[in-house]
Amino acid sequence: MRQHFSRRDVLKASTSIVASTVFASPIRAAAPPPSSATPELIAAAQKEGKVVWYTSVDLPLAERVAKTFEARYPGIAVRVERSGAERVFQRIGQEYSSRVHAVDVVNSSDAAHFITWKEDGILAPFVPEDVAKHYPAEHKDPDGQFASFRVWLCTIGYNTDLVKPEDAPKSFADLLDPKWKGKMVKAHPGYSGTIMTATFQMARDLGWPYFEKLAQQNVMQVQSSADPPKKLALGERSVMCDGNEYNLFQLMDKKSPVEVVYATEGSPIIIGPNGIFKAAPNPNAARLFQIFSFTPEAQQLIVDFGGLRSVHPQTKERPGHKLLKDIKTLKDDPAGVAKQGEEIKARYVKLFKV
Amino acid sequence: MASVELRGLTKRYGSLAVVDDVSLTIAHGSLVCLLGPSGCGKTTTLRLIAGFAEPTAGEIHVGDRLVSSPARTVPPERRQMSMIFQSYALWPHMTVAQNVAYGLTLRKVDRATIDQKLNAILATTKLDILADRYPGELSGGQQQRVALARALIVEPETLLLDEPLSNLDANLREEMRFEVRRLHDAYRYTTVYVTHDQSEAMTTADVIAVMNGGKIEQAGSPQDIYDRPRSEFVARFIGSSNVVRGPAVERDGVAFAGGVLRCNGARLVSGRDTPVSIRQHDIRLSATRPSDVPNVFPASVVRQVFLGGSRDYMIEVEGGTQLRVITAAEDDIPQGAPVFIQVPPERCRALER
Amino acid sequence: MQRRNSGFDMSTPLIAAFALVLCGLILLPMTWLAYYSVTDKSGAFTLANFKQLVTDPVLLEPLLTTLTIATLTSLICCVVAAPMGWLVARTDLPMSRTVRALVTASFVTPPFLGAIAWELLAAPNSGLLNQAYRAWTGAGSDSHLFNIYSFTGLVFVISCYTFPYVFVLVANTLDRIPGDLEDASSILGGRAFATARRITIPLAMPALLAGALVAFLQAMTLFGSPAILALPAGFHTMTTKIWSLFQYPPKAELAAAAALPLLLLTVALLRAEHKILGRRGFSVVGGKTGEPRLVKLGALRWPALILCIVVMLCPVFLPYGALLNATFSKVASKVVSFDNFTFHNIEFVFFELSATKLALKNTFILGILTATICTLLAVVTAYVTTRKAVPGYRVLGFLATAPVAIPGIVLGVGLFLSYTRPPFVLYGTLWILLIAFVTIALPAAYQQLQTGFRTVHVDLEEASRILGATRLQSLAHITAPLLRTSVIATWCFVFVGVMRELSAAIMLFTSETKVISVLIFDLNESGDLAAISVLGLMMLAITYAVVILANRVPGFGGGVRLRNT
Repeated sequence: MRQHFSRRDVLKASTSIVASTVFASPIRAAAPPPSSATPELIAAAQKEGKVVWYTSVDLPLAERVAKTFEARYPGIAVRVERSGAERVFQRIGQEYSSRVHAVDVVNSSDAAHFITWKEDGILAPFVPEDVAKHYPAEHKDPDGQFASFRVWLCTIGYNTDLVKPEDAPKSFADLLDPKWKGKMVKAHPGYSGTIMTATFQMARDLGWPYFEKLAQQNVMQVQSSADPPKKLALGERSVMCDGNEYNLFQLMDKKSPVEVVYATEGSPIIIGPNGIFKAAPNPNAARLFQIFSFTPEAQQLIVDFGGLRSVHPQTKERPGHKLLKDIKTLKDDPAGVAKQGEEIKARYVKLFKV
Repeated sequence: MASVELRGLTKRYGSLAVVDDVSLTIAHGSLVCLLGPSGCGKTTTLRLIAGFAEPTAGEIHVGDRLVSSPARTVPPERRQMSMIFQSYALWPHMTVAQNVAYGLTLRKVDRATIDQKLNAILATTKLDILADRYPGELSGGQQQRVALARALIVEPETLLLDEPLSNLDANLREEMRFEVRRLHDAYRYTTVYVTHDQSEAMTTADVIAVMNGGKIEQAGSPQDIYDRPRSEFVARFIGSSNVVRGPAVERDGVAFAGGVLRCNGARLVSGRDTPVSIRQHDIRLSATRPSDVPNVFPASVVRQVFLGGSRDYMIEVEGGTQLRVITAAEDDIPQGAPVFIQVPPERCRALER
Repeated sequence: MQRRNSGFDMSTPLIAAFALVLCGLILLPMTWLAYYSVTDKSGAFTLANFKQLVTDPVLLEPLLTTLTIATLTSLICCVVAAPMGWLVARTDLPMSRTVRALVTASFVTPPFLGAIAWELLAAPNSGLLNQAYRAWTGAGSDSHLFNIYSFTGLVFVISCYTFPYVFVLVANTLDRIPGDLEDASSILGGRAFATARRITIPLAMPALLAGALVAFLQAMTLFGSPAILALPAGFHTMTTKIWSLFQYPPKAELAAAAALPLLLLTVALLRAEHKILGRRGFSVVGGKTGEPRLVKLGALRWPALILCIVVMLCPVFLPYGALLNATFSKVASKVVSFDNFTFHNIEFVFFELSATKLALKNTFILGILTATICTLLAVVTAYVTTRKAVPGYRVLGFLATAPVAIPGIVLGVGLFLSYTRPPFVLYGTLWILLIAFVTIALPAAYQQLQTGFRTVHVDLEEASRILGATRLQSLAHITAPLLRTSVIATWCFVFVGVMRELSAAIMLFTSETKVISVLIFDLNESGDLAAISVLGLMMLAITYAVVILANRVPGFGGGVRLRNT
């Protein structure tokens, strides 16, 4: 008897149904009516007293969101469980197959995970008011099981003390220049959902030979997509091949000598949905947290403090940040990631040895 | 071979003098025992002679060489000495043969000579069949013999022995005492032997130096020490004497049990409190008062024990002083009975201190 | 000894129960491990896992890397630890107690924390030492003195926290070699060098060899340091590979197969160690043996001390300094100054990071429970084996010692396979971690208490029993009070061990059962070095508090060892 469910097994049946994007409409949409933070819900949530949020968003931002929620709804403690999206996915899989139901709300930077969870039928349909009213169709599940909590790009970056702007790489192709050998850092698709998604998009559009050449560049390999920006800020490496745009923004706010580069080939776009589980141990607090996550307050927080991008129309992008619509992006395709995830990891490990 | 001379040898640890102004000459070829209770400084003295410790004051000469002084100490390896340790200090990673031959190997003696000397000493010490064993596989007595062989094979100028028999059982110890003496007679190395066992010292030594509190109390031949102790400590430590005390009354008498105890030995000063040593078997008991002899005192038997070859009495004289007396087994005087003791004056030895 | 006729002696069924528990602790996970290693995904018998292990370079390379690292570490540890052990034990080195205390400090420092601290120090560009090097020499911005993200860097860091094992074995042995053995050589004409070559060194050799084996084992089974340093450098060791096989999609069968060579090698090396140490004991016959005469270093005294201090810079001073710096600096790679001094990191860890409280709580619960249970188990087992109290006591002793042969990561895999399935679904609870920690800590605790029991003479117990006390009463009234020091020391020793355990915990934790070591590892993966520094220093503070509580570090007398992390 085997406990470990395999994404491939699950997907064999599902891929024929799920269309090219994660938010594509299946035959019948069955979203529940929208919910708001009613006094009854708040009381019930406060009775539960806590909510557990598994997320892959960078830790200080996650804790800031948690603290803001706690301030808004006293008596409900948020426990942030942060790890790379791929680890979060593995953890939930492992826990669920052992009937450990610890997670209330999940946020993953690999949108493909939601396809799997939805297929497994473990997500609870629940539509916050803001999502119903304001969110564009392509950023919410027709069945109401999840919606885009955050959007950002996977970008190139560099340390401005170590690299002059005119010398900085402009494109992914520039990263293959021998002058960057031993000076770059990148994160890992086996850990980070951002990098998994980005690797998929780049492999699709630039081809694997790009990665084969990159692997010859003696790249420092870290795990989280939040780490390359930090390594730039420390001055440990000059250039990051991939990593979170939003971490660079955060660091620039702190006057760190880092700069964002949007690759001329287009930057991989990453979508991080939020969803809640049917077997959530704190179901009411989970709902309340989900409602809160999509409020303009929370969404503006992730923009202002976090440097993320929001699809909530009532939020305002920060001045100085290039607007998403003005940036050339690669096309996202969670279903494609879901299909090829394992293969990407295996190929990546062969090329980069870890 | 050479004599060993200690001159004013002193070793202090902090303010504590473990060896305190010791002077002693060990004649060439003689065996001197340093005898004393534990903590008397005898082992430290030996370690000073070996060069393991440096004196705080005083000097050690071997022959005409100055080997130890506070200014300069010849290291142990250049003293041409040998030593047998209380623990034997056999090297557990070497066989018996390797242990014994070690000293010769260091002296770069050629292989043939080593083999010849090794075989000779192993035969003498009855170790030949154990040559290839490791020390851990030997009995205590065998280990002791290995230690002996290892020390003797290098034909040292001086041989030092630190309680060499204390780890053996009683029978073996007795046997080995004579063995040590026999080997000494055979080789006649200048030997310093440290022990706390007086019979061991008696059996082996030419000269016994009794040590107490870091000083030499008395040095002399075994018989001299036994017959003519000069201090209460020596008297009690050697042959466990009765020591009685009283003010001196005349040139040869000490007030005792309502009378006067005639004695010899130290010059007496009238009126001064003087200890007198009386050996346990020098006291005679009789049920009736013996006539025409000095030093007779009435007493009573407190208890007596039959020991097979002898009888051990505790008697009490007037004034409450108790004395132990050893008599022939047939002298049976019941407990509580009155009795007379008589001690020949030449057997009562007045002590200096 | 008289046989008591009246009254039922509770000890026999209790001991039988103990044996059963011990059996279950070890046999269950190892059986599942063996089972998984020879099955495929569908549960059918196969040898494909082992075939893949020796043919697939993705698996074979880590195995070879691991063996190379272990060999080099072992050599380096011997080269560093043996002379230091000698200096401390046999010479008039000044401040030798301080040097010993410093080695103790590196002994209790979690290796993974040391590895992270060395990232701060010797990352090629941002490392503080490399920055200093460039500042002093004016070297260009790409040049660096050290690169910790490298094979050499990894070997260096592992050696830093492994050499105490060799040091302890060598120094303890040298301490115990009676001074007489050297004196006997001197008096027979052996000069200092001859005595050292022919007597002292051969006597210390078995300890050094055993130390080399122990160092090899430690380096081979270490998880934290390679995970932190080898992955950025682009290579795997066996432990990190096994761990990565559990990432999505999990390959438990392959992981089980990969764990077995580690297990077998450990068993083989421990047997070798036992054999080496078991040969020809010292034949020191009773009586006092002189204090060893210390070799006088003369003019070399202070240079020797400086050398020791320089060595201790690597595992203690520099890393602690780097952690302290990162705690109070806005940027971990910048030296604290007026401009970038901050309390924010401390504030973040204690008031914002929601995992801190839970991890601390879990660590304390597990530490206290593990230490208590382990000490109890060890007391009973040590009692039974030293007093030969029941038939089959040897089995009990063997069971209590056996886990020493199971590397933490292997045990983690075994427990994961055992307790994520019926009948015992313990995954997700603290119980599974408790089982892991108890299993890991038991051998050392047992060894320690066995030594303790040997010092309490059996007559003392028998005197109590002849007066009418049962065996358990005697144990409670006579033996326990006499053993109090050993028991407290063992308890503290286990507690400290739990704090630094990572390799098994990393396989077994869930979000609810996270411990400090895992939290630190997590933070390292997202690059939150400042938060790690705060947590790490807190962890060290707790460790030292416990060590000081125990008054002295146990194990430094008994040759027991802390486990790998």
